[in-house]
Amino acid sequence: MNKGTYDAVVIGGGMSGLTAAITLCDAGKTVAVISKGDPVCCLSTGCVDILNSTDEPFDGISSLPFGHPYGLVEQDLIIEACEHFMETAARGSLPYAGSIHKNRHLITPIGMKKTTCLVPKTMEHANCDENEGIHIVSFRGLKDFFPSYIMLQYSNTGCSIFDASVSSTIGIAERFEDERFRETFADWLSRQHIPEGKIAIPAVLGIRSSFSIYKELSQRTGRTFFEIPTLPPSLPGIRLFKCMKQAFLARGGHLYWGSEIASVEKLGAIIEGVTLKNPGRVGRVQGRAFILASGSFISGGLFARMDSVQETVFGLPVYYPENRSGWFKDSFFSRGHQIEKAGVEVDSSFRPLADAPFKNLFICGSIMARSEVMKYGCGHGLAIATGYAAARSCEGFVR
Amino acid sequence: MNVKDVIIIGGGSTGCGIARDLALRGISHCLIEKNDFAAGATGACHGLLHSGGRYAVADTDAAAECIAENRILSRIGRKCVEQTGGLFVRLPGDSKKYRDAFLKGCERLGIETEVLSPTRALELVPSLNPALEEAVRVPDCSIDPFRLCMLNIVSSKARGGEIFTHHEVINIIKERGRCVGVKLKEKLSSSIKEIRGKVIVNAAGAWAQRIAILAGSSLPMTLSKGSLVVTNHRLSNMVINRLRPPSDGDIIVPNEAVCLAGTTSVAVDSPDNLEVTSGEVETVAWEAASMVPEFEDVRLIRTYAGVRALLNSESLDGRQISRSFQIIDHKNGLFSIIGGKLSTYRLMAEKLCDAVMRHLDLKRACLTAEKPLEGQEELRGYPLSDRLESLKDIICECELVRRSDVERVIQRISPKHIGDIQHRTRLGMGPCQGGFCTYRALGVMQETGKVSPEESIEILKEFLQRRFKGIRPVLWGDQLREEQLIEYIYLGILSMESY
Ligand SMILES: Cc1cc2nc3c(=O)[nH]c(=O)nc-3n(C[C@H](O)[C@H](O)[C@H](O)COP(=O)(O)OP(=O)(O)OC[C@H]3O[C@@H](n4cnc5c(N)ncnc54)[C@H](O)[C@@H]3O)c2cc1C
Ligand SMILES: Cc1cc2nc3c(=O)[nH]c(=O)nc-3n(C[C@H](O)[C@H](O)[C@H](O)COP(=O)(O)OP(=O)(O)OC[C@H]3O[C@@H](n4cnc5c(N)ncnc54)[C@H](O)[C@@H]3O)c2cc1C
Repeated sequence: MNKGTYDAVVIGGGMSGLTAAITLCDAGKTVAVISKGDPVCCLSTGCVDILNSTDEPFDGISSLPFGHPYGLVEQDLIIEACEHFMETAARGSLPYAGSIHKNRHLITPIGMKKTTCLVPKTMEHANCDENEGIHIVSFRGLKDFFPSYIMLQYSNTGCSIFDASVSSTIGIAERFEDERFRETFADWLSRQHIPEGKIAIPAVLGIRSSFSIYKELSQRTGRTFFEIPTLPPSLPGIRLFKCMKQAFLARGGHLYWGSEIASVEKLGAIIEGVTLKNPGRVGRVQGRAFILASGSFISGGLFARMDSVQETVFGLPVYYPENRSGWFKDSFFSRGHQIEKAGVEVDSSFRPLADAPFKNLFICGSIMARSEVMKYGCGHGLAIATGYAAARSCEGFVR
Repeated sequence: MNVKDVIIIGGGSTGCGIARDLALRGISHCLIEKNDFAAGATGACHGLLHSGGRYAVADTDAAAECIAENRILSRIGRKCVEQTGGLFVRLPGDSKKYRDAFLKGCERLGIETEVLSPTRALELVPSLNPALEEAVRVPDCSIDPFRLCMLNIVSSKARGGEIFTHHEVINIIKERGRCVGVKLKEKLSSSIKEIRGKVIVNAAGAWAQRIAILAGSSLPMTLSKGSLVVTNHRLSNMVINRLRPPSDGDIIVPNEAVCLAGTTSVAVDSPDNLEVTSGEVETVAWEAASMVPEFEDVRLIRTYAGVRALLNSESLDGRQISRSFQIIDHKNGLFSIIGGKLSTYRLMAEKLCDAVMRHLDLKRACLTAEKPLEGQEELRGYPLSDRLESLKDIICECELVRRSDVERVIQRISPKHIGDIQHRTRLGMGPCQGGFCTYRALGVMQETGKVSPEESIEILKEFLQRRFKGIRPVLWGDQLREEQLIEYIYLGILSMESY
């Protein structure tokens, strides 16, 4: 074996890829992650959907249709994966709240309810009923957040606007990282007349230290806060991604960021290495096993041509609904478009199905066939469960 | 009581042109449009200001009208006409005979042509199919249909014309067998108004038959749907036509930052609820790709469909003024105008107004061909340099529209619909097709109190569904990727479906 050959090379630095990578690091393996860009996680609410189509997500998993990738992960392993995630996040100063046995409902920026399961602690108190007194604190000029939509649904709502002299969520979050700004903000807040019980704030409480900022603000003002996740770019999603990436690096993992796979070196049914398109320092990365976690269409793991769907790194066979005119339903507001079923089919060890050519390749995350992440509301949950399980399978292979 | 000389129904190019013509002749009038200006065929068309070349062989009347109007509009409407020039390209296998007839026809009609070698054509438009045999240059232009309508309305309003957009004519008031007024319904509030007039002009395009029926008249029409696709960038700076008898998918027109390609022609029963099929998209993209090969891979950002209305020929009985459009005096105070083109809208308006003047027994000459369109100076658009100045204020990233642009439109016209803002700022016209910015623009709109928060969500939902319909046929490649993102934002993050 060559020097500089990793035990495992993960392609795709999203929730599934990073989960797999961290799991393998924890098992003492040497791991590299190659990713062409930021994952979908950065656009997400940062909340972990396990299964939104039911109230009790863990129980609901067993009644998913045959062929859903959750079905490949043993029940115990799903629990283990979630515990592993909660632990990783807490160690990265981004503690999560919630249990995989019960879903919760968050207020969305238009005052509707979003079902989800595990939430960052800054959103722990977001379960509200329509009559509860809520006070919204927003920021002047904020692009994607309009308190009146929430006030319409929650009748006992008040609102105050703070001028942070920046108007993007990221800009405001950056300011919250500064202690003096936090002081000014807390002083201002104490001067507002706020009869309502809870304070809702768009998710801008910092980038790196959200939980400690949240705690400090609660202590300074003596109030109960919760964050409302906003549209992309979304701070809670970015925090989650940064936390996972940091966890991987802290465990000695190697990151090749901004690199796309240019070509694959193979010997028979074994992948030996990949060459990177933007080589930077290293042009080739070799591994004993490979994990493909390159995501679905949004991330480019899958690509739809006019009449077919392709897997973009290895050219693996892809399952997809045949007739393009049936890919999407007529209504924008109905979930469950057929095209969501597209993806790579795998066997119980997370390897591409039967006639697929490679023995040391494992698949996880939203690139898996029939995952229908939108329909079932299982984005990060499925990524975490399959990332964890695929890593276990891969670990057995490289042992 | 509100009494006008003329009530115009329809705010497409025809209706708006008539409003201006009447205004310049000093005739009191109002115009009623059930949506926004250019909501019908006008807004769904290619935006090609024809040189006449397309009709030079088979329909010389239409061709003569086109070249004459092309020159007039180039003069009076500098700011909404882009002098792109056009090419008719002959590909291997296209008939040489047709090309000869084409050149002869153009010469007879006075349409300037220049025959170009493949090398010269490729210099002008590098994206052309390099296998072309030759190209003929003609004075085709690109015209912005929405601006055109608005500029015509400027003249009307300045002279007391009353304009009701988002008002639908739901009935025609008749007394002793004559049409004496209309009943209109405000779309959002459903409140009803009545307006009286001496003459009612039916410029409702594909909906004209329905208006005629309300008036107790008949107007048998045949409807034909045409679909086109929009690319996410300009593949050509000139209009590209195929040098062969007119058929499906043989025109590509540059417009602002994009290109439009089309069209198809499919018989339909109703002008509402138009669907663009995947098959139509493939036909158009395939035909366009034979002229500009990049069409095979280019990102299509949406589809549109419009309906052409043709009068059934047996009902013409000699009253036609030109073969390309028809004016019908229903002899009960209602005049209908059917057919024609965007390119000849001014001529159509002139002829119709002449007929109305005769009916009213008034003699005032048409001035629309001489007087430049008013208000063009303000319609400079939003030049890139201006827009880059305050990037931090941008709410539409694709087209660089600022919050202040949106606020200005809101102040000026009190819009009730997102389309009112889109057409005036290009908000939402880029690759994401309003997926991101519409929510923001509506948020700003309800903040100003022009619509309530509930209304703005209703408008947004309606917009998203309409948008989806236009995009669904082109969902593959990058457009599919973007669509999944938008779906996740509205359903996954906002839970909009439960509203
Ligand atoms: C707007 C939005 C909001 C969402 N909100 C939520 C939410 O609130 N809760 C929830 O649970 N889920 C949510 N989801 C879904 C969830 O984010 C995803 O299902 C999940 O994160 C997918 O993770 P993944 O690891 O499978 O793939 P991805 O996150 O897509 O990661 C794939 C990675 O692979 C990289 N890659 C792709 N091709 C290559 C290549 N050739 N070479 C190298 N690298 C490559 C990409 O750059 C990317 O970083 C949301 C999704 C969207 C779009
Ligand atoms: C696909 C396609 C491409 C085309 N391309 C070109 C081109 O490139 N160049 C060119 O010169 N011509 C082109 N044409 C032709 C051109 O678009 C039309 O001839 C022209 O726009 C017709 O304008 P109009 O005002 O008569 O009709 P419309 O634009 O259809 O206007 C009728 C209006 O009446 C309104 N209305 C209907 N019922 C009511 C009611 N009850 N109350 C109030 N309002 C009502 C409608 O909302 C509509 O806005 C194209 C046509 C199509 C279909």
